[in-house]
Amino acid sequence: MPRKGSSSLQIVVSLLVVCAVAAGGLALTYAVTKDRIAQQDQLAKEKALSAAVPGAQNFETLGTAAVSTAQQAAGDVTVYGVYKGTSGQETVGYGVEVGPRGYGGPIRMVVGLDRNGKVLGVSIVSMNETPGLGSQIVERASFLKQFIGIDAETAQADVKKLDMITGASKSSRGARNGVLAAAAIYTALLESGAVTQ
Amino acid sequence: MKEFRRVFLDGISLENPLTVLMIGLCATLAVSTKFEGSFFMGIAVIFVLVMSNILIAAVRNFTPDEVRIPIFIVIIASFVTIVDLSMKAFVPSIYAFLGVWVPLIVVNCIVLGRAEAFAYHNSVWLSIADGLGMGLGYTIIIVMLAAIREFIGSGKLMFLGNTIVALPSGYAGPNIILLFPGAFILFGFIIAGSHALNRRARVRSGKPELVQERDAGCGGCTACSK
Repeated sequence: MPRKGSSSLQIVVSLLVVCAVAAGGLALTYAVTKDRIAQQDQLAKEKALSAAVPGAQNFETLGTAAVSTAQQAAGDVTVYGVYKGTSGQETVGYGVEVGPRGYGGPIRMVVGLDRNGKVLGVSIVSMNETPGLGSQIVERASFLKQFIGIDAETAQADVKKLDMITGASKSSRGARNGVLAAAAIYTALLESGAVTQ
Repeated sequence: MKEFRRVFLDGISLENPLTVLMIGLCATLAVSTKFEGSFFMGIAVIFVLVMSNILIAAVRNFTPDEVRIPIFIVIIASFVTIVDLSMKAFVPSIYAFLGVWVPLIVVNCIVLGRAEAFAYHNSVWLSIADGLGMGLGYTIIIVMLAAIREFIGSGKLMFLGNTIVALPSGYAGPNIILLFPGAFILFGFIIAGSHALNRRARVRSGKPELVQERDAGCGGCTACSK
C-alpha cells in the first residue's frame, strides 16, 4: 500500500530518482528521433518550395537581414524564411514562407514569386483548418491556383477579385493574407536590394 | 486471469472512459473529425495509458503519498513526449493533423485519472489490463465517432492516403457534423447507444439495476473504503 507520512528526505529522493530516470528516457528518445524529425521537416519544406517555385532545382536561404526586412513588411504575419530558387546559374524565383492566421491557427504556406514579382505558385506546408471546410483551400485545386499570375505591385487590388470558399471565409482570407504578405515582402526586399529583378 | 479479463472488459464497456466515466472529452470531440487521425490518437492514448499504468503500479510502494501527483505527471509527461517525438519522426502527416492534442495527452483526465484511481492501488498485472481496456474503450469510441463524422461530413473515408469508401463526388455533406455542435449531437447518440448495450448486458446477466458488485464507477479502487 502507498506510504503515508514520509520524511522529507524520502520525498526529495523519490522525486529526484523519478525525474532523473524520466530525463534519461527522454534524452534517449530525442537522440533517436532527432535526425529523422529534422529530415522530415526539411522534406516537407522542400516539397512545398518546389511546388511553389516550379522549375527551380536548388534553394538558397536568404540571410537574417532579409528575413527581418521581410518581417517588417509582412506586419503581423509571421515570416519563417525567404528562399531563392535557382536552376543552374539562373534565378528562377523566390519562395517566401509565411504563416498567416487561419481559422485553426497559422496556415504555414510558401508563396513563390518570379523575378518580376508575379506569383508562380502557392503551396501549404502545414495547417490546422477544419476538415471539409477550411481544408478546402487545399482540396479544391482551383482555389490556390487563382493566385498564380498576381503581380506584387497590384496584389492588394487583384486579390479582391478572387473567389473565396463558401463556409470557409476565415481560411480563405488566411491564404489571401499570406499571398498579400508575400507580395509586400517581395516589394520590400526589392527596395532593400536583397532581391534583384 | 479472470480478474484481468474483468478489469479489461470493464474499461471497454461498463466503465468506458468516454461514454460512462465521461472524462477526456475535449480532445475527443476536437480530434474526431478524421478517421486516421483518431486512430493514431487512440494508439497514442493506449501506449501512454499502459506504460504509465505499469510504471506507476510498479513504484507505488516507494511513492510517498504527499508527492504522488508530481510523480505521476512526470511519468505520464515522459511517455507523452516519447509518443510526440516518435510521431513527429515517423508519421509526420498524422502529427500535423493532431497538432497540439498529442502533447495535451499529458493533461488528459483519463491517464491521470487511471493512475490515481487504479494503478496506484493495484498490481502491475491488473494495471496493464486497466490500461489496455481503458485505452481500447477510448479508441473504439473515438474511431467510431470520427468515422461517422468524416463519412457523413465529407462523403469519404480516408486511411493513410487511401480512400476506403467514397460517396459520389456530387455529395455535399452537412457541415455541422464536422463542427463542434455536430460532435456533441453525435456523441450524445453514441452515449445513448452504449448505455443501451450495457443495460442489455446487465439484464442478460440478471442484474438490471445500475449497481455493480464493486462500488459502481470506481472499478475496484479501494481509496475510499480504507
